[in-house]
Amino acid sequence: MYLFEYLAWEAEYTFDCLQKNDTILEQICSWKYRFPSEFKCTFAVSFGKYLFMKVLIIEDEKALSESIATYLNSEQYICEVAENFQTASAKIGQYEYACIILDINLPDGSGLDILKELKTHKKTDGVLIISARNSLDDRLNGLNSGADDYLTKPFHLSELAARVAAIIRRKSFDGNNSLLFEELEFDLLTKTVHIKHHLLELTRKEYDLLLYFVINKNKVINKSAIAEHLWGDNMDMADSYDFIYTHIKNLRKKLIQAGAKDYVHSVYGMGYKFSKR
Amino acid sequence: MNLFTRYFRINLLATVIVFMLASLAFYFLLRYVSIGQVDDDLKIEKREIESYVAKYHRPPEPIVVHDQNISYGISEIHRPFRSFKTIPSPNPDEKENFREISFTLQVEGKWLLFKVAKSLEETESLNRSIIIISLTTIVAILIVSLLINRWLLRRLWKPFYLTLDGLEKYRLGEKISPTFETNSIHEFNLLNQTINRFIRDAEKEFFILKEFTENASHELQTPLAIVQSTLDVLIQDESLSESQSRSLQNAYMAIQKMTKLNQSLLLLNKIENKQFAEIKAFDFKTLVVEKMTNWQELWQGRDLHISASLHSAMISMNEQLADIMLNNLFSNAARHCVEGGDIHLALSSNMFEISNTARSGSLDTEKLFKRFSKMDQSTDQHGLGLSIIKQITEVSNMQVTYAYLNGKHIFSIQF
Repeated sequence: MYLFEYLAWEAEYTFDCLQKNDTILEQICSWKYRFPSEFKCTFAVSFGKYLFMKVLIIEDEKALSESIATYLNSEQYICEVAENFQTASAKIGQYEYACIILDINLPDGSGLDILKELKTHKKTDGVLIISARNSLDDRLNGLNSGADDYLTKPFHLSELAARVAAIIRRKSFDGNNSLLFEELEFDLLTKTVHIKHHLLELTRKEYDLLLYFVINKNKVINKSAIAEHLWGDNMDMADSYDFIYTHIKNLRKKLIQAGAKDYVHSVYGMGYKFSKR
Repeated sequence: MNLFTRYFRINLLATVIVFMLASLAFYFLLRYVSIGQVDDDLKIEKREIESYVAKYHRPPEPIVVHDQNISYGISEIHRPFRSFKTIPSPNPDEKENFREISFTLQVEGKWLLFKVAKSLEETESLNRSIIIISLTTIVAILIVSLLINRWLLRRLWKPFYLTLDGLEKYRLGEKISPTFETNSIHEFNLLNQTINRFIRDAEKEFFILKEFTENASHELQTPLAIVQSTLDVLIQDESLSESQSRSLQNAYMAIQKMTKLNQSLLLLNKIENKQFAEIKAFDFKTLVVEKMTNWQELWQGRDLHISASLHSAMISMNEQLADIMLNNLFSNAARHCVEGGDIHLALSSNMFEISNTARSGSLDTEKLFKRFSKMDQSTDQHGLGLSIIKQITEVSNMQVTYAYLNGKHIFSIQF
């Protein structure tokens, strides 16, 4: 029964993926994890040469889970949504996910109990807690119960994507810490970037910025999201994002000088987009 | 002054006064009685002389013995007369007083004045011994009663001091309520019970309040999260026109501002509710230096000149709050500094000072730390930054002051 359901599920999503337009598939393809050849996993769905990570969004606010799913679906993820504790509990019992995005406050239970269930089932799914509660106690409670990361609502979707990517990387690909984007080759362990086998000299902030861009490639990222990612949200500087411009200008210059194409595009007054064209 | 000192001071003073008065009264009574006795002896002498005169019709020979003088002479008073008085010893070498009876007697038609004096040596020495004995007793009683009281009070009040100790260590919202041992004294048990009840009520209120804050946060944060993420999805649309993009960006900024405002309000509530109870001792300098590195780029971007003279300063406060406080101070200084102006940081063992070149004159010190009071009417700021600083200094037993000097805004935090 289990196998049958799973195959049905996979077939359904494979079909869904076929419906997605070609450019998206192309984008997904460019994000390439190198799997050991014998690697078999159930938390990802392969479709030809493409691989989709399964992500479960446990969130009772439909509008929010929809936005998250829309944002993540256009990358290498396939999102499922559970709107309440019961559905979520059933899903985690049956399937495995690369990452679970978990809201603590559910209408019929606490997200922390989902963490306990994962533990009793000895599941190793990565968990990112999203909560409206920003108290240190809750953060510690969540992390102590086995969550991998904690993000306070409201958040930027680009930040969420970066956290999810980091969790999946940590959980699933021990020993393989490279990430490719066109001619850029990231070594996530040593935090370095090579272009055509030449080391690209970057400051810590520039590296973080570039990685953030690549993880959110083809997406418009708002200036404030970049500022918060690099400097944290405690630094209250809502009135000036000029310094981001300087950083991006420097990063662009370094990339072009090292022989990479110019991938950073400014989008009106809104922010930036990192893409091939 | 603690309870014991106070008690002993009053107790000692009262006892000493009572004993002094009693000793004085005792002394005078004793003196009165013993002198009365000597006077009785003198009256007997008088009667003897009277009977001698009646028998022999001449005064007896004056006799001078060691402790008794009898003398007589012509009297100027021609009627029967008798009086007693205390006189110094006729022998100047001796210190003892004498008691003298003077009386007139008619002998052979002549009025003679007889004087009989008796030494008071014995009675006085008796008095002295009695006084010495009683004084010694008083002092002994005082010392013993002090010691007993001390021991007894310590023992009796021990539960009270245990309770006090427990209360002193207790902090609201730390989940560890003090436990009070029951003891045999009803009043102390009642006190402990009452305190326990107060603590339970306070904890309950505290958690209700905390829960309210959290619920309020949840209720507001979730719609904010929806708007924010919807906007994040919306800006991905490549068919947006420039004016649509601009509108979207405006909405985006407004949501950002609202998020910040909500977070600041929640932060203020949390500080007020003492939810940052964990206090640690650390060197403030380390934190300042760390923050300076973080802010370097932002300052450079605005062409600000930074100077600092920092000395070690060990302080005890919540680290998270210290971090927030510095961030607020730094961002204030940067925001209100003229382009190309100076920011100066000074840290000594008891004070941290941050000053920046002012754009205009002194700020309104009255309204400065009030919530939502905006100093310049820039709409980007919500006007909570300084209230947060003020609130943090209050819960951390520090003081924040503002001064305007030589065209500079100076904020000082006194530890």
